[in-house]
Amino acid sequence: MPELNSTSSDRQKLKELIINADRNQANAFLDSLAVQSSYMEVIHVILEPVLLEIGNMWVKEELSLAQGYVSGKIAEDVFEKTIQAGEFKKERANSKGAVVMGNIEDDYHELGKRMVITFLRAAGWDVYDLGTDVMAEEFVARAIELNAPIIGVSAMMYSTANNVRKVRDEIDAKGLRGKILLATGGAVFNLRPELVHEVGADGTAKSAINSPQLFDRLLGKIK
Amino acid sequence: MNSMERVLMAMKGGKIDRRPVTLILSLYGARLTSCPLKEYYTNPRAYLEGQLAVIEQCRPDIVFTPFVLTAEGEAFGSEVVYIDRNPPNLKKPAITQAGSISALPEPDIDSHPRLLYIREATRLLAAGCQGKRPVAATLLSPMDLPSLIMGIEGWLDTILFDPENTRLMLDKTVKYFIEWGNTLLADGATFLVIPSVFTNPNILTRKMVKEIVIPVLAEAFQEIKGPLVFHHGSNPIAKFMEIYSSLPNVAGFFLDNRDSFAEARKTIGQGKVLFGNIDGPNLWRLKPETIRTECRKLLEERKDDDHFIIATSATDVAFDTPVENIVAMVETVEEFG
Repeated sequence: MPELNSTSSDRQKLKELIINADRNQANAFLDSLAVQSSYMEVIHVILEPVLLEIGNMWVKEELSLAQGYVSGKIAEDVFEKTIQAGEFKKERANSKGAVVMGNIEDDYHELGKRMVITFLRAAGWDVYDLGTDVMAEEFVARAIELNAPIIGVSAMMYSTANNVRKVRDEIDAKGLRGKILLATGGAVFNLRPELVHEVGADGTAKSAINSPQLFDRLLGKIK
Repeated sequence: MNSMERVLMAMKGGKIDRRPVTLILSLYGARLTSCPLKEYYTNPRAYLEGQLAVIEQCRPDIVFTPFVLTAEGEAFGSEVVYIDRNPPNLKKPAITQAGSISALPEPDIDSHPRLLYIREATRLLAAGCQGKRPVAATLLSPMDLPSLIMGIEGWLDTILFDPENTRLMLDKTVKYFIEWGNTLLADGATFLVIPSVFTNPNILTRKMVKEIVIPVLAEAFQEIKGPLVFHHGSNPIAKFMEIYSSLPNVAGFFLDNRDSFAEARKTIGQGKVLFGNIDGPNLWRLKPETIRTECRKLLEERKDDDHFIIATSATDVAFDTPVENIVAMVETVEEFG
């Protein structure tokens, strides 16, 4: 497969298109680069470094939710094209493994979780989305069944964040502390970071784009 | 001065006997009367009893109509779930696809049970306050209501990628907002509080806010026959005040607890009231003495600001907040003068 002859100006151009929330132009631009090599090469050489930069800007509140959302949609679009081009199967040998994701009991706000799933899939995780209003027992049972080392639990509001503690308790009750790690996130955890500790989570990411780094870090902690 | 005179005078910037104070204690009334939440959020008389208990035990200068914004989503066909110790949460939006917007039925304000509940609670509360205490009615901005009709993601996706259906949705929500806002004022609300999320450059791009949001808000706000207070939703707004400064009928702004009053005042000028910025949902975490210290500090900082009302920011004060914490805030203001 030919290597992509990419320059920093290509990355800068993609960054500007994302900042302008221009999904169509960004896709057209990435398509034109993929013709030179492959979508997988585009992901590794262009998209991933730009998303990392976008993620850092988002954490520093230099970008809006809309711009983060558009970057997720672009990643999703490229991911789909990678599958359609038959390139993705070759990469699955390098899968990082299974993770279980869902909105905690009583939480129905899926936007953040879906963005996280997009970025995790693009980073090579096999993500199993359990949906909304998921009970702690189901999170842990599915993680055991799928041999998933990490459970990702989303909660948007104060009213539901405390339910994440039930997943912690269930993991501990099954004697799986340190073997299955608990990642949590959502708007409320950005507002009150101390909640992450209070609910017993092992980590959080300040933005969806940064979630692959969190999951990599957690994977390295598994006993 | 009674609370009504004090608050209205602060809104005009005139001489007051002491600084007005309020907390968002819509939910808290249920705690004080031990009322089951489903009953509280469906029976206007139960809501009134809760708010009368709030007035008696907490003495806020402003009381709120039911802070149950999901009811507006229900009026358009969305489903909610009642949860322990919190207002109901959106469970299932009325629609998920932008293509369904054109067929979306518009609620009848005079017959929909969820809207009738809020209207009756507003009338009862206004009557219960006897003109001596302002009643603030909360309703969603026309930019935000769609997130309770088609979900946050559905609405964000529509705004970003489907301008035709965005306009179609906004035509519906602007029309509804005007009718609903004016109805609440006619039912006895003193002013309207508009929690606003999809109006903030932390959510949409600054360009989108200026080109899409502000014209929509201006179109809606100018038809409201009473004062509006723009509420920060859950995001800081002080650094964006210049964007909102020209909106019609806006008497003031609720600031986020992370906002700087000085920064907001510098941009907005002297004529608008600034409310906030004690962290309401996290008031339960603090000791009463810490609350007193925080309030005194804020009162001292704003002592020369004629248009300042100390209040809790964000959403409801949490259900489990000790009443001593609330009283600590109110007493500190009463003592400060």
